Amino acid sequence: MKKLFLLLTLLALPRAAFAAVGCDLNDPDRDVARLFPGSTGYKTRYLSVKTSGGQPLLERVEKRLGDKFKGLYETIDVPYTLYDIYKGKEIVGYIHGVNQKGEYGGIQVFLALDKAGVIRAFYIQKLTSRAAKGLRAKEFGAQFEGLALRDFEPYDPVLAKLPPAAGASAIKAPAKAGKDFGSVLRAVKKNLILLDEFVFSKKEK
Amino acid sequence: MNVYSIAYKNLLRKKTRTALAAGGIMLSAWVLATLLGFNKGYQQGLNRDIDNMGFQVLLTAKGCPYEAATLMLKGGTGLRYMPEAVVKTVYTNPEVEKVTPMLMHGVFDPDKGENGAIAAYLGVDAVSYPPMKAYLEFKQGGWFKDNNALEAVLGYEAAELETREVGDKLLIPGVEKEITVVGVLKRSGTQDDGTIFLPITAVQALFNKKGLITGLGIKVKKDADINAFENKLYDLPDVQVVSMAQVKTTIMNLVNSARVIVMGIAGIALIIAMAGVINTILMSVMERYAEIGIIKSMGAMPLDVFKMIWMETALLCGFGGAAGIGLAFVTARLAEAGVRYFLPYAPNGALIALDFGISGAAFLLITAGGLLSGIYPAWRAARVRPLEAIRIEGEQ
Repeated sequence: MKKLFLLLTLLALPRAAFAAVGCDLNDPDRDVARLFPGSTGYKTRYLSVKTSGGQPLLERVEKRLGDKFKGLYETIDVPYTLYDIYKGKEIVGYIHGVNQKGEYGGIQVFLALDKAGVIRAFYIQKLTSRAAKGLRAKEFGAQFEGLALRDFEPYDPVLAKLPPAAGASAIKAPAKAGKDFGSVLRAVKKNLILLDEFVFSKKEK
Repeated sequence: MNVYSIAYKNLLRKKTRTALAAGGIMLSAWVLATLLGFNKGYQQGLNRDIDNMGFQVLLTAKGCPYEAATLMLKGGTGLRYMPEAVVKTVYTNPEVEKVTPMLMHGVFDPDKGENGAIAAYLGVDAVSYPPMKAYLEFKQGGWFKDNNALEAVLGYEAAELETREVGDKLLIPGVEKEITVVGVLKRSGTQDDGTIFLPITAVQALFNKKGLITGLGIKVKKDADINAFENKLYDLPDVQVVSMAQVKTTIMNLVNSARVIVMGIAGIALIIAMAGVINTILMSVMERYAEIGIIKSMGAMPLDVFKMIWMETALLCGFGGAAGIGLAFVTARLAEAGVRYFLPYAPNGALIALDFGISGAAFLLITAGGLLSGIYPAWRAARVRPLEAIRIEGEQ
C-alpha cells in the first residue's frame, strides 16, 4: 500500500525539468538504410553521461577528449541516441550522432561504425557554415571511412592540431572551412569516445 | 450512545460491503472532481496562452500563413505582404492600445537534413514588440535596441539547436552578412521557443522587403468592443483578421462538446453509485429487520430510525466522496498526461486545476446524491412495525 501511495505521489508531481536537446536522425528508416547498406533493421537506445556513469564518466570523457564540455548545451544530461543496427537478428554496427558548436551554428555529426568500432560512414546532418558545401560533400566524408578512435586520439581540440603521425592527419579540410573543420574533428573524436564508453568498453568488460 | 455512533458501528458490521459501496462513490467523486478541475484548468490555460500572445487580434495579408509552422509546411512559400502604412491606419482606431508590426521570412537551408529544410526568421519591432511579450524572460542578454542592427534574439530551443549563446555569430543561408546573437530567451512553452527574432528593418533590408510586413499584432483597449473593431478591420483591403477571441471560442466550443459527453458519462457513474448506495443500505435494513423492530419496541420513534439509517448513508457518501476527491488530487498529473495524449490541442500549464471550490462542489454533489438515495431505505426502516418484525424473525 505504501509503495502504491509513493508511486501515485511520484506520478502526481509536476514535471519541473526539461530535457536537454539530443541528436536524432531526422528520418531513421531512410537514413539507417543509406548509412548502413545491407542492414535489415535497427533499435534505438537513449543514453546520457549522467545515467551511464555520472560525474566520474564525464571527467573521463573530458580527459580523453582533451577538452571540457562547455556552454549551455554541452552538459552531463544531454541525451545521446544510439542506433543498434541489425542484419537479421545479429547486431552488425552502430550509428551515433553528437551536436557540436560551430562558428555560425550547431553541427550534427553522425558516424556509422561496424562492430569493431571502425567508421563505415560519416554524415553531417545539419550545419551552418561558409564551407557547408565542402563539409557535406561525399569526398570529404569518405576520408573518415576506415578510421577508428585510435586515429583521432592524438587530436587536440583546444589547439585544433593533429600530429602528422596520427591516422586522421590525412583528412583534408575543404576550402574556407576555417574553425568549422576543427569543430567537425572534435565532434568525431567526442562521438567515438562516447561510443567507446557506452558500447565497446562495456563489451570488453 | 448517539445516533451517529450507532450508524458508524452499523457500517462496520459488514466491512466488505461498506468498502465496495464507498469505493463506487469514491470513483464517482474522482471522475466528477477531475472533470470539474479540467473544465477550469483548460479554460485558464487557454486564456493564459492567448494572453501570452500579447495581442488579441492579428492582421495578416489575405491568404498569408501567419505561423512559422504553417510556413514550413508550405515549404517557405505562400507568404503575402501588407504595406507598412497599415500600421498607421490601424493605430488611428480609438479601440487600439498598441500595435506591433512583424515580418516573417522563410529561407531554404540546403544544409538542414538530407534534402534541406526551411529556416524561418521573424522580424519584430525593437520598441513595440518587447512590451507586448512581457512574459518572455531572458536566459542570457536582452532585446536588440535598434531596428537596423544585425542582431538576433533566439528562443531557447532555437538557441539549443544552433548551440548559440550571446556574442556568437549566426549565418543566414544565402545571406553573407553575419548576425550577432544578443539574447537567448528562457523556455516559455510557446512557439517563441523555436523562433529566431531579428529587428524588423534589418529583415526588410536583408530580404529586399522594404516597406512590407506580413503581420500586425493589435492589442485592444480593455473596454473596447472587439467584435465591432474586427468588423472595422474587415473593411481594409486585402487583409485577413485572425481573432484570438474567435480562436478561443472555437476551441472552447469543441472542448464543450466533448465535455457534455464526458459529463454525461460522469452522470451515469453517479447514478450507478447512487443505485449501489440504495442497494447497500436497503440490504442492511432488510438484514436488521428484527433489530429495528426491537429498537422501536424499546421506544425509538420512526424519526429516530430514519435518522439512524440516513446517517449511515451520509457517512458512506462522506467517506467515499472525500476519498475520491483526495484521489483526484493525487492522480491529477497522471490524468493530465492522459488528456494531453488524447486531445489534439492542449494549452500550456496545469490542465486540471483542482481547488477548494471545485473540491467542495464535487463533495456536496456526491453527498447530496447519496443522501437522496438514502431516503427510500431510511423510510422503509422507519415504517417497520415492531411486533411484525419480531414475529417474522422468530418464524425464520
